[in-house]
Amino acid sequence: MSAFIDARTIPSGTILQPDLAIIGGGPAGITLALALARAPFKMMLFESGGMDFDAKTQSLYAGTVSGTSYLPLDASRMRYLGGGSNHWGGWCRPLDPIDFEQRDWVAHSGWPFGIAELKPYFARAQALVEAGAWRYDTAASAMTAAAKPLPLGAGGVYTSWFQFSKQRDSILPTHFGERYAAELKRVANLKVFLHANATKLHLAANGASLEQFDVATLNGRRFVVRPKTTVLALGAIENARLMLASRDVAEAGVGNTNDLVGRFFADHPIPRDTATLVSFAGDIASYYFNAWDMDGALLRAAFAPSDDFKRSRKVLGSLTTVESPVELDELGKAAVVTTALALGVDASSAKAFSIGCGLELQPDPERRLTLTHEHDLLGMPRLKLSNQVADTDFARYRLTMKELGRQLLAARSGMIRLNYDSRDEWLSALDWGDHHLGTTRMHRDPKQGVVDANSRVHGMANLFVAGSGVFPTYGASNPTMNLVALTLRLADHLKAMRR
Amino acid sequence: MSDERISRRTMVLGGGVAAALGATALGLTLPRLLAHRYAPTPYDDLLQQLTDRDVAIQVGRAVRARLTKFDDKKVARELRQRFERRNLAEVLDADSAEGRLAEAGGWVLPRSLTDLCALAAG
Repeated sequence: MSAFIDARTIPSGTILQPDLAIIGGGPAGITLALALARAPFKMMLFESGGMDFDAKTQSLYAGTVSGTSYLPLDASRMRYLGGGSNHWGGWCRPLDPIDFEQRDWVAHSGWPFGIAELKPYFARAQALVEAGAWRYDTAASAMTAAAKPLPLGAGGVYTSWFQFSKQRDSILPTHFGERYAAELKRVANLKVFLHANATKLHLAANGASLEQFDVATLNGRRFVVRPKTTVLALGAIENARLMLASRDVAEAGVGNTNDLVGRFFADHPIPRDTATLVSFAGDIASYYFNAWDMDGALLRAAFAPSDDFKRSRKVLGSLTTVESPVELDELGKAAVVTTALALGVDASSAKAFSIGCGLELQPDPERRLTLTHEHDLLGMPRLKLSNQVADTDFARYRLTMKELGRQLLAARSGMIRLNYDSRDEWLSALDWGDHHLGTTRMHRDPKQGVVDANSRVHGMANLFVAGSGVFPTYGASNPTMNLVALTLRLADHLKAMRR
Repeated sequence: MSDERISRRTMVLGGGVAAALGATALGLTLPRLLAHRYAPTPYDDLLQQLTDRDVAIQVGRAVRARLTKFDDKKVARELRQRFERRNLAEVLDADSAEGRLAEAGGWVLPRSLTDLCALAAG
């Protein structure tokens, strides 16, 4: 068992030479290190933070945002061991098969492989995020037998099921740093360096491989790492920043020959109170509001468009949840009374509920990260996020909600009010999931992607990227469990490379 | 006669209030209890299907507010075709099944219902 190493104690000028360097100690970096335990190579993991939040370290994340409002860049991430999982809500759901497909109505869509490539890794990913047995949509019959669901007529929206990273005592969910610190210390072929900030990647003169990278600490130490292979696992925003900021050989930055690094940034918009759902019968099952425990798996219902509906109506993914009871205004009461009377339905106990959602954005090369002329405490250029959401992204979600309303009417079980129509209305309700995606997208063609199907940076022999930054299309599912599965696949690839 | 005995006048007033409260509890609003008779329209054969016309008018106003043009005669003609040999609920079910929907202040409703309400509000 080896303790973590405080990089602030490493003498400046030191040269470290691991077989594999993992830069970043979030869910992807930790997953990779654990998956490669017992592999026949020496690993080092470099994490910027320590075991807890530190304001000075966190300030290294600061940047600017223009366009559609977004969280400050130093508020939507967590810079200490465990990374984004330190403020994770624990929501899990596998991507849908269609998320991997190239679709003619979604520009820049499609992964280099289908969901079948990830399926072998889902069980282990599920175990790492501690979300209990794999249930998700297979839980539908058991859940709806336990409590009747809101009836929906046949159509394009169905009741889908989230699972949650497991509750231990009062702690929810799995914070990877805290949870796996002891296991990381037990990995014999791994050294973990805390307070170690990678500040620049140095390529070989021909630009075809990574020779070394610089590490700096906030107490002024600077040393060098010369790994045989390197995996960037800093998160979608910081991976792009480090690649763009490393320009000593490649003028545009590492892996950026085709000006793709930092582009296609995405997150899941979470507009609040997007709709009002009325149940004519009144109360609805509590699994729409709260997670239910099914043999240790925590499940919560959501409304999702089917893949067939997405194809036929050309919409993207969304996951809609019932949030809380609301009062209807006079028009709402009139609409409910009139509709119920016309359908011959008893609505004397009707209740209304606020609806929330997370929705998928269309890939957009202009939603992007670029370097600014400002620098952080370690001399790294800060980032600017140019954020934008297309009207079609809102319009597509509205189509899905309208379909849900149609299905409620068809079942004579309820109805829906769409609360937003204009762009201003949508933007006024906008929040974000902190699901950073897409800045180093995966594609077989170097002109369309930064990394190949194995997450290797195009044109680079020994540099890989892990995490949701490689997702070329995003789906609506929360990324953590999926990126953990993708990282496990990367681990297998790295092991195979060594053989 | 004792002062504590309830007069006939008090009983009548009290009974009226109780009936009104009961009706309100059942969802029948005061305006409906006091509903006036409507002037005849060319669409009364259609509008008689609306159980609560006052409430439907509120919905109809929201429908008309969203439209720049509403051709009452044409809409009535189409509604009559839809209502041939079918009752209101059946027509609305068909609307929902076939995706014939419209909005009233954001409420997603069967198109025939919004048409009826808009006619009522005309």
